[in-house]
Amino acid sequence: MIEVRELTKRYGATTAVDGLSFAVRPGTVTGFLGPNGAGKTTTMRVLLGLDAATSGEALVNGGRYASLRRPMREVGALLDAGAVHGGRRAFDHLGWLARSNEIAAGRVTEVLEQVGLAGVARRRVGGFSLGMRQRLGIAAALLGDPGVLMFDEPVNGLDPDGVRWIRELMRGLAAAGRTVLISSHLMSEMELTADRLIIIGRGRLIADTSVRELADRFRRGVLVRTPRPADLTAVLAAAGGVVESGPGVGSGPGVGSGPGGALTVAGLDVAAIGDMAAAQGIPLYEVTPRSASLEEAYMELTAGGAEFRAVAS
Amino acid sequence: MTDALAAEWYKLRSIRSTYWVLAATALFLVVVLLLALQMAHIWDGLPAERRAEFLLRPLQEIGGWVAGLCLAVLGVLSVTSEYRTGMIRTTFAALPRRRTVLAAKAAVVGTVALVAGEAMTIGSFLGTRLIIGDRPFPDQQASIAHDLPGFVISGTSVAMFALLGLSLGALLRSTAGALVSVVLLWHVVPMLVFHLPEPWNERIGSVMPSALPRQAAGLGADNSIYGDVLSPGAAAAVMAAYVFVPLGFAALALTRRDA
Repeated sequence: MIEVRELTKRYGATTAVDGLSFAVRPGTVTGFLGPNGAGKTTTMRVLLGLDAATSGEALVNGGRYASLRRPMREVGALLDAGAVHGGRRAFDHLGWLARSNEIAAGRVTEVLEQVGLAGVARRRVGGFSLGMRQRLGIAAALLGDPGVLMFDEPVNGLDPDGVRWIRELMRGLAAAGRTVLISSHLMSEMELTADRLIIIGRGRLIADTSVRELADRFRRGVLVRTPRPADLTAVLAAAGGVVESGPGVGSGPGVGSGPGGALTVAGLDVAAIGDMAAAQGIPLYEVTPRSASLEEAYMELTAGGAEFRAVAS
Repeated sequence: MTDALAAEWYKLRSIRSTYWVLAATALFLVVVLLLALQMAHIWDGLPAERRAEFLLRPLQEIGGWVAGLCLAVLGVLSVTSEYRTGMIRTTFAALPRRRTVLAAKAAVVGTVALVAGEAMTIGSFLGTRLIIGDRPFPDQQASIAHDLPGFVISGTSVAMFALLGLSLGALLRSTAGALVSVVLLWHVVPMLVFHLPEPWNERIGSVMPSALPRQAAGLGADNSIYGDVLSPGAAAAVMAAYVFVPLGFAALALTRRDA
């Protein structure tokens, strides 16, 4: 259980986190989303007692992290995979961590096997790729077998296999009743991994929702292109579909431009539209489901919240 | 505290720089002993009037002085290497009581430096005595039991330098900055102080870190750039102050600042 209440953190004149409140419950993977500079890492640092809150509080299991006796047994965290001494062997990096929290030495070998680093346990961390460092950081987080886990951008630098591995690992941890918070700036990744989403921008909460709710909220229907838009509109409307002419809002470049007229249909799925058009002999040039728009929903939600933005050229 | 001690001890012995520093220290002891061999050889060829002013003591003492710098480097790195890599955040996440972490680091580094320092100073003294054998060097007439305490005290100054380096590392959070500060205190500032007008060169020269072990052992500052106005007790107190005052500031800084 993670609770953040009215958390504000200022660094000099910069406000990194601004009155942020949310809770992360056990048994689910919660995605912590926001553009770069939104305050995700700062929030995690305050949660871990590394940075002091300017006001408000950040609690883990109902208390402050700094007051935990052996914190790694309750909270596992990966903040920065690069934050290891390059001259130390992977085994030793976990070794000193185990000593610091009185964790049985056997756990070191166990977690190294769990993250797939058993073969390089005696190698110095300096020679590790970013992906291997991420795995080592995850091993460190898992070392104390904690009930609360926090990962800051864990998929950075991982290959597709590694990304899938992380996804399954996170889901497995949550399924075992643990509290799992993963930060990311990629909606596409969280869409596949997270059950709940906490979206922030400029240090403020934008949305605290489930993935399904967000998808529903931003459902845009199906884009259909046909040379006989008026006939198709009549057919689909009769079947209960809500039909608008045009490609709809938020369409990317190229969508809806082409031969025939574009319609946006809500309330009917792709198969139903295709079947009905076929039954009436209406040709279709394009049928594109527009429901997978979490990425757009996220972009729209955070549009005002990005700290850094490139100027379109 | 035991967890923190165990973790810091594990950290210190699982990186190569520790062994490099200790190897450099050991190598310098070998150099001192080789120089003693050379001096014994020169002694044999000297006429009697030259022998009367041929001193071994400066060579015996240089070992502890150099070990002080080597172990100060170890003290600096024990903190700044964590800030450089960002590992300090892993450390403070594992051990949120920062003053305990600092105390554990100081205990581990201080102990290693004390052992290395004593090995260096006692090794220099006994080793050179063994090498000159029964050659009657004018400054080696006292018994081993009489001269040894001075070298034991000199060995503790190695731990003082190591802890000074550790505190400076924690305060400055930069390897370069802390190392430059240590070298300034170790030798550069004393050189400048030596050129101050009387009596300030003598007075300030007495409280320079490198000036303290001889005064604490009740020895004068002959043939050196330092002063010797402090009593042995006062010199020991100043040595302790060089350890604990910077450590106190470091503890304050660690708890006040974001990691």
